[in-house]
Amino acid sequence: MHQLRSLRWILALYTALFVVFLYGPFVVMGILSFQQGPEGGPQFPIVDPSFFWYKHVLGFAPPSRVAPLPIGEALTRSLTLAFATMVVSTVLGTLTAQAFRTRFRGSGFVFYLVVLGMMVPGVLLGLGMALVATNLGIERTWWGTAFVLHVVYTYPFAFLVMLAIFNRFDKSVEEAAWALGVPPGRTFRKVTFPMIFPGVLSAMLFALTLSYDEFPRTLFTGGSEVTMPIAIYGTFAVEIHPNLFAFGVLTTLFSFSLLAVYGVLMSVSVRKARLRGSGIQEDLA
Amino acid sequence: MSDFDLELKQLRKVYPGGTIAVEDFDLQVSRGEFISFVGPSGCGKTTTLRMIAGLESITSGDLFIRGRNFTHIPTEQRPTATIFQNYAIFPHMTVRENIEFGLMVRKLSSAEIKRRVDAMIDKLELGDVADQKEGVLSGGQKQRLALGRGLVTEPDILLLDEPLGALDANLRKSIQEELKILQRELGITFVFVTHAQAEALSMGDRVVVMNAGRVEQISAPFELYTRPKSPFVARFIGRNKIISGRLVRSDGTTAEIATEFGALRGVPSFSGGDAGNSAMAVVPSEYVDVYTTGAEAAEDGLDVVAGRVTAYDPVGQVAFIAVTLKDGTEVRLETYREKVHGRGIEPGSEVELRWRPERTTIVLDAA
Repeated sequence: MHQLRSLRWILALYTALFVVFLYGPFVVMGILSFQQGPEGGPQFPIVDPSFFWYKHVLGFAPPSRVAPLPIGEALTRSLTLAFATMVVSTVLGTLTAQAFRTRFRGSGFVFYLVVLGMMVPGVLLGLGMALVATNLGIERTWWGTAFVLHVVYTYPFAFLVMLAIFNRFDKSVEEAAWALGVPPGRTFRKVTFPMIFPGVLSAMLFALTLSYDEFPRTLFTGGSEVTMPIAIYGTFAVEIHPNLFAFGVLTTLFSFSLLAVYGVLMSVSVRKARLRGSGIQEDLA
Repeated sequence: MSDFDLELKQLRKVYPGGTIAVEDFDLQVSRGEFISFVGPSGCGKTTTLRMIAGLESITSGDLFIRGRNFTHIPTEQRPTATIFQNYAIFPHMTVRENIEFGLMVRKLSSAEIKRRVDAMIDKLELGDVADQKEGVLSGGQKQRLALGRGLVTEPDILLLDEPLGALDANLRKSIQEELKILQRELGITFVFVTHAQAEALSMGDRVVVMNAGRVEQISAPFELYTRPKSPFVARFIGRNKIISGRLVRSDGTTAEIATEFGALRGVPSFSGGDAGNSAMAVVPSEYVDVYTTGAEAAEDGLDVVAGRVTAYDPVGQVAFIAVTLKDGTEVRLETYREKVHGRGIEPGSEVELRWRPERTTIVLDAA
C-alpha cells in the first residue's frame, strides 16, 4: 500500500514535468506576446501588457522601427505546399499499404526503401537534393524540389499509418463484396475505403502537419521563394521582436483548430455510423 | 447444358511454398443438391470451397458450373454467392444497404431492386432491423442477413463456409433446420463446409469426407455412417467400433479377417485385396448387443467378441458400458438399454459383444 502511494507520487511528478515541458515554451511565448510595443523586448518583465504585437503581425500597427514580418506570401506557400503534400502522400501511402497486404517478392526491401524517407537526416537529404538540382540544372523551388522532398519525408508516415489500419482490416468483407458480383474497383470505393477512412484522416493529419513546419529539407531546396518556417528563421538573423511570439501564438492556435477539425470529422464519421445504425437519421432528415 | 450444377475435375491446389492443399478432387453435384464437405481442420475443405467461389486460384484441374468452365473466371463473374463463417457484414451499411449492395452492379431498375430487397427482408424477418447496422444485430440476425445478401443475387450455387460455427448450440440446431427447409424451397444447390460430422450428416444429401487434401469418400449420410470406405472415415464418422486384423479372404460381397478374438466377417468396402493384408472390421455401435457370456443367442450366425465389463452406467433408456477385451483394449459403448441383455451385469462380469456380420464393414488399412 505504502509502495503504491509513493509510486503514485512519482507518476504525478512525471506527469507534471511532462506537461510543463510540453506547454511551458508555449505559455512563455504566449505571455511575452503581450509585451508592450514597439519598445518592449523579447524578454521578461512585461513592461505594459498590450495587443500591439498582434496588431503588428496582422498589419494594423502604426509604422515603427520594427519591420513587419515577411510572412504573408510565405504562409500561403506553406499552406499550399502542406496541402499538396498531404494529398499526394496520403494517396501514395494508402496505395502502397494496400500493395503490402499481399506478400510479394522483395516486399521487405521495398518496405525499408519507403521508410528510409523518414529516417535519413533532413539536412543531408536537403543538401543532397540541392546538389543534384544544381548539377542537373534544375531550378530549386518550393513547389518543385522542396515538394518532392516533403513527399519523400511524409509518405512513410502515411504508409505506416495505413499499414497499421490494413493490419486490422478483415479481408473477408472485401471477399464478400466480390462474391456478390461487385468488381474490385467498386469494392474498394464502396466497402474498403469507407471502412479505412478514419485511418486515412490520421494519415492526412500527419502529412499536413509534418510538411507545414518542415525546415531542414526546405531550407536547402526551397529556392528564393521561402516557406513560412524559413521566413521566420530569416528574421532571427536581424533581431528578435515579440511580434514573432504573437505570430507563434496565432499559428499554434491554427494547429489546434486543425486538430479540432480532425476531431470533429472523426466523431462525425463515428456518430453517423451510430445514428444511421439506430434509425435516428431518418427522423432528422 | 449439363445435368450438373457443379462439376469438379481433378481439382488441385498447391500453395506457393509447395504445400499441397487439395489434390485429385472429383465431384459432380446435381441441381438442387445439398452437399456437405466435412473433415478435420486443414483437410482442404475450405480451400476447395474458396476455389469454387473464385477466392483461391486453381492450380490445375477444371471447375464447371452448369456446364460452363469457370476455372479462370474471377469471383465477381461467377454465379455463386458465399456465406462466410464470420458473416462479413459490411459494418458501415444498414441491413437494407447490405442486401441491396450486390444488386447495384446488376442491370436492374430501382423498382425491381426495391421489390427484391423488400421480399428478402420479409422472408428472413429482418424488417425490424432493416435500417440498423451490424452493431445491434444478434448472431441469428447476422446469419440471416449474410444469407439474404447472397440469395438476393439469385446465385446458381450457394457456398457456405462453416456458417453456423459462431452460433450457440440451440440456435445452431434451429438454423440447421431453417437452412435445410430454405434450400428445399429455393431448389438452389448448396455447398456446405463444416468440421462437425453430425452437422454434415444431418444437412447433406451427400457428404464429402476430406482428409489431408484428399477426398476419402463421397456418399449419402447413411451409407457413410454404415459403410465407411477407409479407416479414416470409419474413425471420423459415427460411433464405430473398430477391430484390426489380417484379411483371410474376400469375394467382393463378403470378407473375413482373422483377429485376436477369432474370425470376423463383414461386407468388404473394396474389391480384390490379398490375403494377409492388414484390415479392420468396423461395426457401428448401435448394432452391437451385449450378452452375459454363454447366454443363448436370439439368432444364429453372429460374430462374437468376449470381454469383461469395467464400467456400466444405465441412465434411463440410454446405457453406457465399457468392456475390456482380452488384449486390454477398452470398447466404450453408448447404446440403448435393451441392447444390454441379461440380469446382473455389473463391473467384473464376463460378457460377449455380438452382432450380425452383415452389419460389419471390412476396410483395408491404407498402410
